[in-house]
Amino acid sequence: MIKEIVKEEFATDLAEGAVLVDFYSKTCGPCKMLDFILKDIDKTYGEQVKIIKVDFEAYPDLIEKYNVEGYPTLVMFKDGKEISRKSGLQQKPVITKMIEEAI
Amino acid sequence: MKRYDLVVIGAGPAGMTAAIYGVRANLKVLLLEKLAPGGQIINTKEIENYPGVGKIDGAELAYKMFEHVQELGVEFDYRTVTKIENKDELKYIYTEEDDTVIEALTVIVATGTRPRTLGIPGEEEYKGSAISWCAICDGAKYRDKDVVIIGGGNSAVDEGTYLASIVKSLTIITDFDLTADPVSADYLRSLPNVTVHPYKRVVEFIGENGQLTGVKFVDKETGENEQVVQCDGVFEYIGAVPATEFLQGTNIINDYGFIETNERMATKIPGIFGAGDCISKHLRQVVTATSDGAIAAQEAAAYIKSLRNQKQLTGGAI
Repeated sequence: MIKEIVKEEFATDLAEGAVLVDFYSKTCGPCKMLDFILKDIDKTYGEQVKIIKVDFEAYPDLIEKYNVEGYPTLVMFKDGKEISRKSGLQQKPVITKMIEEAI
Repeated sequence: MKRYDLVVIGAGPAGMTAAIYGVRANLKVLLLEKLAPGGQIINTKEIENYPGVGKIDGAELAYKMFEHVQELGVEFDYRTVTKIENKDELKYIYTEEDDTVIEALTVIVATGTRPRTLGIPGEEEYKGSAISWCAICDGAKYRDKDVVIIGGGNSAVDEGTYLASIVKSLTIITDFDLTADPVSADYLRSLPNVTVHPYKRVVEFIGENGQLTGVKFVDKETGENEQVVQCDGVFEYIGAVPATEFLQGTNIINDYGFIETNERMATKIPGIFGAGDCISKHLRQVVTATSDGAIAAQEAAAYIKSLRNQKQLTGGAI
């Protein structure tokens, strides 16, 4: 399941299960292509993983809180704890591996 | 083993166009890409010289091309090709992902290029943390900090203009002068926080405790007059190298790794074609890449037709 962040729900979303957060920017080409890969991945994993997209410019507080330094940055959470992180456009198998380790 | 009429390796503008023309020529086509559709254009903020679309974001153009590919029902897969074997009329394509071997009558290699690196001390250590090739992706972390760009071509000047608007200071070190179009280069040079060091060669990235602190450079000609510029981050724009490592040892690439093709995009191996930035040519643009892709696919279709005609004459089957 892919959704744009709803800030009030973010803490609850993160707290349970496998959650992949995509810190992105609307102006960044690699972010747009990563979005394409994530949509493809979503078809495979469906409800097994929540994919939450966080606009880099709109949520500077979250960028600081999670120490995100560039975009796209993918952070994989399991039951609220960060278990892996990748910066830059990633190959589909790399993202799949991150998810497999969390579900 | 799955067999295709045409396997296109690389889903940039050349590869996507080849796939479109291949399907429209009634070929069974597989398009392979190791990362994401688009190729180098996804890092291009604005494309202004592709006819008919005016000014367009590179990623948006890539997305439109890929939508076109999908509408035509082209089979697509994420794979990194490691080897192509050529046996009689068939090509066997090996990939990193698993032991599957893909069989094809024809192959179009459209793998494009990747950024050239300097190969100097410190580069490996700071690559990905303080050394980057994408200002739009990584520029934000250098707000009000000191940044160096290495290179003076169009990419360096375009990305430099963006970086100059957010960083405290931007130092450009280049082995010639700024060689980008004069209007853009003069504008960048005129900005108050920009310094250009022309005819210099970068020799080392310097740091302390895992943090990059500066860049050491010398006069290009003499190797003397060593200087260090303090900085928090570096962006390298020193050209590109072809992504053709998997073709090493074949006779279809030149000493620089570019694929040698004729005007029909054919290589020395019958049935293997090249298209786009990875071939040896003078002008590398989206419009020349799509042109290469179209020609290569048409020639692949013609090659398959001639193979089938020959087999009919001799009683074989492919």
